[in-house]
Amino acid sequence: MLIFGVLRSGLYSLTSVGLALSVGVIGIVNFAHGEFLMVGAYLGYWLFVSYGIDPLVAIPLGALGLFALGGVVYRTSIQRVLQAPELNQMLLTFGISIFLQNLAIILWTGDPRTAAISYKAKAVALGPFTVGFPQLVVFALAMALTLGLYLVLGRSRIGKAMRAVAQSRLGSSLIGIEVDRIYVLAFGLSTALAGTAGLMIALQLSASPFIGLLYTLKAFAIIVIAGLGNIHGVIYASLVLGLSEAFVEFYVPQGGGWSEGVFFVLILAVLIVRPRGLFR
Amino acid sequence: MTRGRMPKLVIGVVLLAAAVLLPFPVNRAQPYYLQLTLNIFVFATLALSWDILARTGQLSLAHAAFYGLGAYTSVLVTTRAGVPVFAGILLGSLVAVVAAAGLGVLTLRLRGIYFAIATLAFSESLRVLTKQLRFTGGPAGLIAPPLLAGNLPAQYLVILGILLLAVLVSWQVNRSRWHFAFTAIRTNEEVAAVMGVDVVRFKVMAFAISAFFAGLTGAYYAHVFLFISPFEAFSLAVSVGALVAPIFGGLYSAVGPLLGAVVLRAGEEVLRAALGDGFLIIYGLILAGVILYMPRGLVGLWTAFAARRRQPAARTGRGVP
Repeated sequence: MLIFGVLRSGLYSLTSVGLALSVGVIGIVNFAHGEFLMVGAYLGYWLFVSYGIDPLVAIPLGALGLFALGGVVYRTSIQRVLQAPELNQMLLTFGISIFLQNLAIILWTGDPRTAAISYKAKAVALGPFTVGFPQLVVFALAMALTLGLYLVLGRSRIGKAMRAVAQSRLGSSLIGIEVDRIYVLAFGLSTALAGTAGLMIALQLSASPFIGLLYTLKAFAIIVIAGLGNIHGVIYASLVLGLSEAFVEFYVPQGGGWSEGVFFVLILAVLIVRPRGLFR
Repeated sequence: MTRGRMPKLVIGVVLLAAAVLLPFPVNRAQPYYLQLTLNIFVFATLALSWDILARTGQLSLAHAAFYGLGAYTSVLVTTRAGVPVFAGILLGSLVAVVAAAGLGVLTLRLRGIYFAIATLAFSESLRVLTKQLRFTGGPAGLIAPPLLAGNLPAQYLVILGILLLAVLVSWQVNRSRWHFAFTAIRTNEEVAAVMGVDVVRFKVMAFAISAFFAGLTGAYYAHVFLFISPFEAFSLAVSVGALVAPIFGGLYSAVGPLLGAVVLRAGEEVLRAALGDGFLIIYGLILAGVILYMPRGLVGLWTAFAARRRQPAARTGRGVP
């Protein structure tokens, strides 16, 4: 059970770290985050079915595509509401989310699409336990990417600029950082991370227009647990969510259905008891 | 009464008479249109109720929760306890009010985005709960007893009454001192509190009024549609509809949500035929478009247009939905 919980949290942290980036650096709470993930999942499915490209190989391609999509969305809409009230920003991204979801329904119908990948059902022995091979790969990659992002934020010039912009928009523009460019980069990076997570979902599960909202909500739960805008708390918060879901699935009768509710209860509880988040 | 108000009053009376009397011939000729009008009224009541809450700056994504609570309560008490349908509907809206007051107190400290996420979480938790519990019928849902023995014109008159009540309340709130309290809280809660506005009382009150109408429509519609399930009663589409209509029509008034609901629902009917399941796409487009290009909605467009006709140089204020 522990292993299931931990493995699951890898994908969660990859999804949420993108959202945390958008919230932390730009200050935009992106309701459409999960929809970018959904687009990524369809991209992975489509590349595999049409060109036989393995979703794992397609990750750089998908990330690039989603980066571009994120850039376009930012330039055409988000950019215009940066100074607007918070609720306008939220409603705008909510509109984008509804738009993308229903576009997917129109283009690909509501039925889930599953890519039949050869090693999907393969299992690996890990000490005394057996775990799914794709799950293991996804976990490792997701963790590597999340940690890689931390490294980029901590060490590189771009990362430092992003953190500076997150702290003060005015201050960073005064010392010569092109705030606008950083915003586009951060938003593109955020959607690219969501798209990568989507490709991994195409590898593990299946693509459907409705997965977006689910992952948006889970990512919300995680960044709320971590504290809005706190990028470093995301890994721990993902562990909390992944483990508590696994716990409910194993120990509660009919746990599969109940586990869907875990993150809502977590969000509610954290928001009411400690709105600043658990990990700061 | 001034001369200017006379024609307005006459128009109002004629419209009301038409609204009350028309269903009978329409039902004989084209029941579909009556059904559609009924749906529009349900939607408009929801939109009005959402708008009342939004006036205090609380942007709810939980209207599906109150709608669903009303529906489930009413269906459960009428089928299991033999309560008459009308009493069941009232009971349903009362349960929604109690839940709203509870949620309102819990989320008092939360603002903006935090509030929206918390309400969404509340609504989705309820959906999971009704789906998992045995006595709510689980994912399969429940059959609801019909209201007024399924007589469509009579059902129409009931929702017409509910809608008129909602319009009246929405209008009255805007004419009374509450209007200033709500606006003050929305604009700046601290300043409102300093000026002597009882912030907690007004916020919870707005929540309760809003939930009352949401629960009422949910319960009502359950007995018209004759079936409820966790996926429909607590669906996000209900919450989305309840918020897009006022934003599209124009916020913080009785006219805006009404106008938005009528235009959206009628347009949706056309789109649903053309696009099938993805018809909600238009909601996304409208939501994004309105935020970007016309922050004061249809009503805002109209006032800007009217002002320009009267004095060409008139400038309109900045809209803050």
